[in-house]
Amino acid sequence: MPRISIPAALRQYADNQGTILVEGSRVGEALSSLTAQYPELKKHLYDKEGRLRSFVNIYVNDEDIRYGQQNETAIKEDDEISIIPSIAGGVITEAKVKAPAPDLSREELARYSRHLIMPEVGMEGQLKLKAASVLLIGAGGLGSPLGLYLAAAGIGRIGLVDFDVVDQSNLQRQILHGTKDVGRPKLESARDRLSDINPHIQLDTYETALTSDNALEILKDYDVIIDGTDNFQTRYLANDASVLLGKPNVYGSIFRFDGQASVFYPKAGGPCYRCLYPEPPPPGLVPSCAEGGVLGVLPGIIGVIQATEAIKLIIGQGEPLIGRLLLFDALKMRFRELKLRRNPECPLCGDHPTINALVDYDQFCGVTPHEEAPGADDWEITVTQLKERLDQGDRPTIIDVREPHEWQIANLEQYGARLIPLGQVADRLGELNPEDDIVLHCKMGGRSAKAYETLKKAGFKKIKNLKGGITAWADQVDKSMPKY
Amino acid sequence: MTYPEECGGLLLGVVDEDGTRTIRDVLPLENVRRESRNNRVELDPLAYARAERDAAKRGLGVWGYYHSHPDHPAVPSLFDLEHAPFTEWSYLIVSVREGLSEELRAWVVREDRSQFDEEKIL
Repeated sequence: MPRISIPAALRQYADNQGTILVEGSRVGEALSSLTAQYPELKKHLYDKEGRLRSFVNIYVNDEDIRYGQQNETAIKEDDEISIIPSIAGGVITEAKVKAPAPDLSREELARYSRHLIMPEVGMEGQLKLKAASVLLIGAGGLGSPLGLYLAAAGIGRIGLVDFDVVDQSNLQRQILHGTKDVGRPKLESARDRLSDINPHIQLDTYETALTSDNALEILKDYDVIIDGTDNFQTRYLANDASVLLGKPNVYGSIFRFDGQASVFYPKAGGPCYRCLYPEPPPPGLVPSCAEGGVLGVLPGIIGVIQATEAIKLIIGQGEPLIGRLLLFDALKMRFRELKLRRNPECPLCGDHPTINALVDYDQFCGVTPHEEAPGADDWEITVTQLKERLDQGDRPTIIDVREPHEWQIANLEQYGARLIPLGQVADRLGELNPEDDIVLHCKMGGRSAKAYETLKKAGFKKIKNLKGGITAWADQVDKSMPKY
Repeated sequence: MTYPEECGGLLLGVVDEDGTRTIRDVLPLENVRRESRNNRVELDPLAYARAERDAAKRGLGVWGYYHSHPDHPAVPSLFDLEHAPFTEWSYLIVSVREGLSEELRAWVVREDRSQFDEEKIL
């Protein structure tokens, strides 16, 4: 009878035998009789669709059946059939992209000529770029350079998620949008600009907030996810959805003069955002760009780093930022790099994951209890309510917890407001009377919510947080007040 | 020695009842790839078959393979994941920088082949 030799690694599924005698005059029959006898072997040799796994080679004596009659290859009495793994490895990590596009048009050949003449990109790489799809979460500071360069590079399909409208304060850095676009949805001005840069690409826009309900559905068809978000809820959501779908997540973040970038890709052995930051900071502790400011060119620098990484992942060239956190300091003009490792205890991408589905990210980031908990709105006061009280002659103590340079731009001093920056609140409680009516405010309501907690713990009872901060005041009460 | 190209070979040894793999011998094999030898390695299937036969005669089996990552970390790539034959094997990766080995790490592939987990080298 012909015999099949079993690799050491698989013998445990074949009663620890190294050689098994089988019936059959063709290779296909012999293999069927083997797997009928040892069903456990089957799932190691065949995929779910019943095809031989890509790394399994079947040899009859010294001949690969792929170059013979495949399953119909005849076998004789004393032939030896060997199961031989194809063993290959390599450093390059590529994003999984659909089959390369078939070809480039004449216009495209001309457009991409500077790519085509480099061997690292070439026709092969450019066709991969054309076949690739990239999702940009956010069409703001980071999304602007990302969108512009990825469109110009010829990424075949770009998705954009954003629900904001263009505001004056965006124009200092969000170069997708122009002065004429103020008041328009960001996705509309982004579409105009990107289709002008490259009419050969497909743009898909999602005018919605990314949520636990829609994230998997939106992300699932894209090859590469790019995080250009400005808040922790969406950042954790983008991370978790990318990991659950096994997609690379090109991360970037910016604050004032500092930026970070990395590629989170546990499927390729790297860490995820949760390995780096298991828990979000308490709300209000880390100010957003809207509260803390950001140098206008900074998202340009970090965004183009993200775009570069996305392109490298797609064409499979170079050394990706997987397992490395790039830190940029614009004031020192210095890049540094930290090694990151996947955390085996990570609840999402670790060895024993406990997060297998998307969660409630507002709750995870501690945002919900203040903003949406029913019946809890009495801790806040709206700007119109405050204005009414002031108009009626009521004079609550107004405490501004922003920084002095913000106070200089706009303040409520005419209503008796006093400045106690958030960092000093705990130490200066003695200046306040716990029995007084106190209204706390900052720029948008985040830092004053933090101050609210501090005062509450110290026994203050009659405190309110000004909802939306001085920005809401400028929008709804005093339109002549400068906004920043 | 092959730097800046990749190299690789087989790990011969035995496995305990508790699944601990003890590697007794290392068998370097030739990289049979013709192109992209700086970032790809492929081992000769027939050399593998011979190694498996010879190992059996010595009471050993092939329980994994090693390969180098020239100028890259000793972390498996997606290519490595897609080409990892057995969930029962150890995958050793050595990172080589400027001709010198820098770091050696061992990995195993999950049963569902979704990703690698690092394995302890005892």
